[in-house]
Amino acid sequence: MAGAVGGLISLPAWANGWTTETVRSSQQLLSSGQAELLAELVETIIPVTDTPGAKALNVHKFVQKMVADCYDKSTQENLQKGLDSLDGLAQKSYSKSFAAGDTAQRTALLTQLAKSTDTAQKDFYSLVKNLTIRGYMSSEYVMTNLTHYQFIPGHYYGCVPVQAKATSQPK
Amino acid sequence: MSNFNIDAQALNTYDAIVVGSGISGGWAAKELTGKGLRTLVLERGRDVRHVTDYPTTNTQPWEFEHRNQLKKEVRDANPIISKCYAFYEGTEQFFVKDAEHPYIQEKPFDWIRGYQVGGKSLMWARQTQRWSDFDFDGPARDGFAVDWPIRYADIAPWYSYVEKFAGISGNKDGLSTLPDGEFLPPHEWNCVEKHFQQKVAGKYKDRHVIMGRAAHITKPQPIHFQQGRAQCQHRTICERGCPFGGYFSSNSSTIPWAAKTGKMTLRPNSVVHSIIYDEKKGRATGVRVVDSNTKQMTEYYARIIFLNAAALNSNLVLLNSTSHRFPNGLGNDSGVLGKYAAFHNYRAGVSAEYDGNLDSTTDGRRPNSPYIPRFRNVHKQEMGFLRGYAAGFSAGRSSHSDQSSVGADLKESLLNPKLGGWYVGSHMMGETIPKESNYLALDATQKDPFGIPQLKISIAYDDNDDKMVKDYQEQLTEMFTEAGFKNIRVRDSHASPGLDIHEMGGVRMGKDPKTSMLNKWSQLHAVKNVFVTDGACMTSTSTQNPSLTYMALTARAADYAVKAMKQGLV
Repeated sequence: MAGAVGGLISLPAWANGWTTETVRSSQQLLSSGQAELLAELVETIIPVTDTPGAKALNVHKFVQKMVADCYDKSTQENLQKGLDSLDGLAQKSYSKSFAAGDTAQRTALLTQLAKSTDTAQKDFYSLVKNLTIRGYMSSEYVMTNLTHYQFIPGHYYGCVPVQAKATSQPK
Repeated sequence: MSNFNIDAQALNTYDAIVVGSGISGGWAAKELTGKGLRTLVLERGRDVRHVTDYPTTNTQPWEFEHRNQLKKEVRDANPIISKCYAFYEGTEQFFVKDAEHPYIQEKPFDWIRGYQVGGKSLMWARQTQRWSDFDFDGPARDGFAVDWPIRYADIAPWYSYVEKFAGISGNKDGLSTLPDGEFLPPHEWNCVEKHFQQKVAGKYKDRHVIMGRAAHITKPQPIHFQQGRAQCQHRTICERGCPFGGYFSSNSSTIPWAAKTGKMTLRPNSVVHSIIYDEKKGRATGVRVVDSNTKQMTEYYARIIFLNAAALNSNLVLLNSTSHRFPNGLGNDSGVLGKYAAFHNYRAGVSAEYDGNLDSTTDGRRPNSPYIPRFRNVHKQEMGFLRGYAAGFSAGRSSHSDQSSVGADLKESLLNPKLGGWYVGSHMMGETIPKESNYLALDATQKDPFGIPQLKISIAYDDNDDKMVKDYQEQLTEMFTEAGFKNIRVRDSHASPGLDIHEMGGVRMGKDPKTSMLNKWSQLHAVKNVFVTDGACMTSTSTQNPSLTYMALTARAADYAVKAMKQGLV
């Protein structure tokens, strides 16, 4: 039904939004090195398994875009700073770059960040993790294939048995 | 060259002019054109056509660049409109940005506006309750405002008239406080809402929890198909514009209906500066319009004028319509123009959790929720505050996923959320008392981008509102406790007035021209061919949502205006 209606509508170019393939970045916040590191970081948070991980779904580009467009300067700087120090922390913990670490090493480092007593470090990790979860869960792939979002439910049933519920998220 | 001017005048002359194309202006346009009048509809914003001008109506969640979050530069540039719940990445195009129409906040007031064809009818929350005689006779009884010149019986047939066309869903509940209407089937309840309804009914004789009455087509009738509208699809992204016409908007309903008559000329980008008063003829002859693109001023003329610019802007236009006869604003012999402005108190809310009905959940989405009609001071003054409040209520089921881990465990947890318990919530809708000290005026020096004086807004909560907030919090807490809800939390947002988006008053109706601006037909006492039928005409504010009443008052006034025109009375 959405397709039938969509066919009647001509959208202006600005309204077409982005897909996972084409992220238009209004501001290049990170250097290419920082961006590559961010990609590894989001992939560590949500890795490839039998389904794509965060990196393949371009969640790192989403994180960068959100921080560039929706957050204040101090948060942006903290993201840059956090990424810059991440490799240093990796060197200290397992004597290689973050990207070169294996899953267990990377995971251990993130657990350490989560518990950090350094507020900036903790905020950096919490920002990236929250945006990674948000970007992943609201990606086309996940919403279409895994959580089965219904754009047009066409109904509201107030009392259905728990087992029979079809997953659908608002907005 | 003199001929040229005469031609220009003839070219700019219509039978009727309607200022504004929102929820009431759309009805004025439909009724007047339907009765054969060549009608000019002036809209200060741009044209927005049904379906084709809803750019985000079919945008999937993942297609929004910022997943519907506002960019920082938008938030920073728009501290006022950013407070509105309905303003997000997918709806930015339908709200007035702060800089586009500056105003003076003599006291803090968040003025939420939609300047386009359809006005705020595109983004409204679509609750459509009738008022009852308890609302219309309240001022006479309590003496907090002047008596309404009409009662429920005067407007009841017009409620029916507009409900059938607009498409209102609801249940016939048989309550004296909230008269039943011409309803399409009501939306469905969920188990916890039903549970609450039963618990409240068991404990209180005078308190009721009913399904909200909402402008959604739950079962289309032939009149809706004739408008090209279809059944509501429960997308709950209404404020982006609905391609199905599933809810009522001027864009999907009244404006295209008026256009089909061939009698309507719609002129967007037309900011009305003032109404022209002809002292020799003793009536209004037209309006002055500033084209928002060229900033050129043009005059348009007509036998009757319907002012439907939305309450605050209708006040602004009248205040700015000065002449030798009316130095303080058109029709303002009484001096009450701009005074007794009022609004609704949406400050308070109560939320809680419920651990019953865990074997059930909901499926789909519902663009509506249950409603608790006013139960305070209904039959007699019983509380230490005037009037009362209604409340919204709803229940839903939450789901959670453990987000503490990282890696494959986190992914697994995110994709397999655990169903949590039920949460319940309510918000209040309190009636504020129209007071002389709540007023609108024109600033003496500051102008808007069109050279029109800026509106000065001086509106605030008072002690009555604070008492009402407290009583609402206490009563809902008691009702929630009775229903077995846990972890009850009350809040008071302390938000400024305005976010209720129910701007009302300033051009109130009344029997006495010495204390009111409009008679029982929404007609200026002193200028019989000018009608004001938007929120500005409201004498008091009731606890119900006002939009349905604007529609009914407009249809009623248009019917009267055309009859009066034929009899030579205007």
